[in-house]
Amino acid sequence: MKYFQPRSVSEAVEIAQTSEAAFLAGGTDLVLHIQTGKVQPKALIDLGKISELHEIKETDGYLDIGSMASFAEMGQNKLVFQNAFALWQACQTMGSPQIRNKATLGGNLGNCSPAADGLPPLLALGADVHLISRDGEEIIPLASLLSRTPLMSQETLIRGFRIPQKGLQSGFAKLGRRRALAIARLSVAVAIEVEGTQVGKVSVALGAVSSRAFLGESLCKELSDQKLNEAWIEKGFEEVQRVVRVALGERSSAPYKRVAISGVFREAVASCFPEGGSKA
Amino acid sequence: MMDIKLLVNKKPYTLNVDPSERLLDVLRNRLGLIGTKEGCGEGECGACTVIIDGKTVNSCLVLVAQADGCEIITIEGVGNRRSLHPVQKAFVEVGAVQCGFCTPGMVLAAKALLDKNAHPSDDEIGIAMSWLIGTNLSFNEIGYQRTYGNSSWSHHFCDHGLYFVR
Repeated sequence: MKYFQPRSVSEAVEIAQTSEAAFLAGGTDLVLHIQTGKVQPKALIDLGKISELHEIKETDGYLDIGSMASFAEMGQNKLVFQNAFALWQACQTMGSPQIRNKATLGGNLGNCSPAADGLPPLLALGADVHLISRDGEEIIPLASLLSRTPLMSQETLIRGFRIPQKGLQSGFAKLGRRRALAIARLSVAVAIEVEGTQVGKVSVALGAVSSRAFLGESLCKELSDQKLNEAWIEKGFEEVQRVVRVALGERSSAPYKRVAISGVFREAVASCFPEGGSKA
Repeated sequence: MMDIKLLVNKKPYTLNVDPSERLLDVLRNRLGLIGTKEGCGEGECGACTVIIDGKTVNSCLVLVAQADGCEIITIEGVGNRRSLHPVQKAFVEVGAVQCGFCTPGMVLAAKALLDKNAHPSDDEIGIAMSWLIGTNLSFNEIGYQRTYGNSSWSHHFCDHGLYFVR
């Protein structure tokens, strides 16, 4: 197996054209897959030494997060806390501290596990993905990208993510089988436009329900533009259960998940309003 | 094969490696640093924890090539029989070692935390050591308070056995 360690994005894209290579982000999934023989790339392009891919910064009304930002870096970053609270929260509980030190947001999308903790918050917050390949650059809503199969060609590099700075209240909750280190059995991210007791646009994304994380479109429709009260939460319960019922069908985990989702949804909504007050 | 440079426990190495080799295997088999253990081999148990550039990682999930140019600390670089690290002393004094297999990882996680923050809160200790709770088939969450410098320690440790011979 060949190993490349490019210093720039353009160099990485160049190498990807000429070799049957896989991009290596943090490696917490890929290294394991290589060990077990699940994937056998002819070459690896290690993105770890490209410093611009590690950056987290504000540009023109967006929070830009480079694909190589680790969960530990995002979980300790003030800009992420202020602009993407749901994502910040997901970073606190993903894996163990050792995994969070290596695992990256770009890797989370590239690997695209159904239970990927980073994706529901990005979906709810309306994030775009910045892709680069020899054919050029593309900025595409994550929600649209996740409906593509395959997600992207092997030589396409995930450069990063941009989250619009809209001052949304957002929150994340997941259900795992244990307190620490759990892989999500269910996860919910919520982003809400709030003015006083009135909610504007609401986005709800679900993880570990389907083969990929997705935005609950009907939830957004049912819950947007109304009063924020207990009846609103109740309506959310009904709708989120319906969405999960449809998505899971007759799968064996369905009876459990379609009930459990209500609790996870409530927790995600509650986490948007820490101690009842506004975070911003 | 490729040449890489590592600084392991303050000692520089230049090695010719296969890029698909894991850091764990190179540390154990090439450098003879067998204090780093392989437990689950899939990033769950933390027995293979080492510190790379100040951060704890699972060395079973890191290719040695990824660590090119990095500083690595293994348990051998923390203390020795004659001069134990304060964390090791604390472990010995309260009998925090049972079979001892995952202890190197626990000591390194505690050291990495204290290197960054000499006075961690209980919450911060809980987060840094959280993986221990989820690690084993059975565990005892034994809270004991231990004075380490000026900080109060509350430890969780495990009572395993089965997990590592599975």
